Amino acid sequence: MCANLTHELDVRGLQPPEPFELIIGALQTLPAGACLHVHIHREPYPLYEVLLDGGYDWQTTELEDGSFSIRISYNP
Amino acid sequence: MKTIALNTQQAPPISVPLRFFSAAPLFLLLAALILLSGAGNPFADMRSPALLAATHCITLGFIAMIMLGAMQQILPVVIVSPMPASRLTAWLTFLPLISGALLLPAGFMLGKPVLLNLAWPLLGLAFITFIIASLISLARSPAYNATKTALLLSILALSGAIALGMLLAHGYANGSQLPYAKLSASHIMLSLGGWVLLLIIGVSYQVVPMFQLTPSYPEWLGIGLTPAIFIVLALNLLSVLFEFRPQWVVIAGQSMFWFLAGCFAVATLILQNKRRRRVADATLSFFRMGMMALLCAALFALATLIFPAIDRFVTLSAIFFMLGFAMSLINGMLYKIVPFLVWFHLYRGGVKRGVPNMKEIIPEHWMWRHLWLHRCTMLAALFAPWWNAAAWLVSLGLLLQGMLLGYALITAISVYRGTLKRLGENLL
Repeated sequence: MCANLTHELDVRGLQPPEPFELIIGALQTLPAGACLHVHIHREPYPLYEVLLDGGYDWQTTELEDGSFSIRISYNP
Repeated sequence: MKTIALNTQQAPPISVPLRFFSAAPLFLLLAALILLSGAGNPFADMRSPALLAATHCITLGFIAMIMLGAMQQILPVVIVSPMPASRLTAWLTFLPLISGALLLPAGFMLGKPVLLNLAWPLLGLAFITFIIASLISLARSPAYNATKTALLLSILALSGAIALGMLLAHGYANGSQLPYAKLSASHIMLSLGGWVLLLIIGVSYQVVPMFQLTPSYPEWLGIGLTPAIFIVLALNLLSVLFEFRPQWVVIAGQSMFWFLAGCFAVATLILQNKRRRRVADATLSFFRMGMMALLCAALFALATLIFPAIDRFVTLSAIFFMLGFAMSLINGMLYKIVPFLVWFHLYRGGVKRGVPNMKEIIPEHWMWRHLWLHRCTMLAALFAPWWNAAAWLVSLGLLLQGMLLGYALITAISVYRGTLKRLGENLL
């Protein structure tokens, strides 16, 4: 899905819309071929719409503690 | 109680809610000008034409305008079911509402029946369109949660409030023989105690835990509170319309309503006290202020039951409910939602550079200024029924708040339009 490079971003416990802002900021500086791995306390539905429009792929996994792990990669 | 995950995939175009939001501050200005233009102290007499006109400017032009606009955004998000024909519904709601909200206060102020006769069918059209569209949306919704129940009950209360409001306005305009005192009391009960309170409670179940990072409301509260309020409201309505005796039944019913409203305020304050991140936030402070104002409104209403001779406690309770509670929460929600909507819609179509930071859309220091202005307005409101200078200060406070909120919303819309233009995209 992506090259060896994975950037980690933990936005758990941040007040909306900070998680959304940080994720978008991280995607803008993500090197080509890299993945962004996000750890978030709530499933970010609005983000999915932006990812879809922007040509990103993502995979969401719900973790045992109720938080979510999302792996995002650019797929133009 | 679990907060549902928000879904914006069926949200309407940004122009739909922003149209309602940007019109609302004009009615604050109008209400303030009406209050300032009246002779004497308009807050000293609940039946003064100036207070009646200003109250309807605020309830229809400000509170309902924003709540109807917000509902078109909220329904697809919290119950996963958009309004049918969202653009048409928005226009059929917005145009008659703005016209009716101008004509009705003008009719009260100028004592012109023709204006009232123009206003009530327009307002009827706006609200009936909204009610039918909301009920269709609720019926189509696959969601089953406390928010959906609260929204349904608030819409039912709104239906009764609008029917009574149309009857009253028609009666005033045509000099019909009607039991005005009983009908007015029922209209106020259903519109403020039903529609406004139940809608705010339902929406708070979702937005307080989500935006303020608090624990969720307790499940028993979510399931039981809004139906309990609705039942008590219905019993109180019957007791007013059919003049139940003995008096203690009326007092018990009123006390129960305010006790339940107070439970919501206390529960919200407790949750806010348990929030995970204790950072200063103007929108949260607006919410806290709203909850404290709801408790004050309850205390003043209970004081009226104990001291029925002091009728100005009724005025204070109404002021604290409308301006202190409803307006605080509406301001808090607008300052949270509008920057997000602008920012989110700028990112529709993909992740791009050149979109401003969310904090640049409405500068935060404007929100804090507005909060302090609102606090000062409410402090003056405490003395307004007795002291003319305080009444004048309340009017001035509303005028400045209308200007400040209007400026903030115009700033947000300018940022949206300017950024789209810079990025070379079409306006939605």
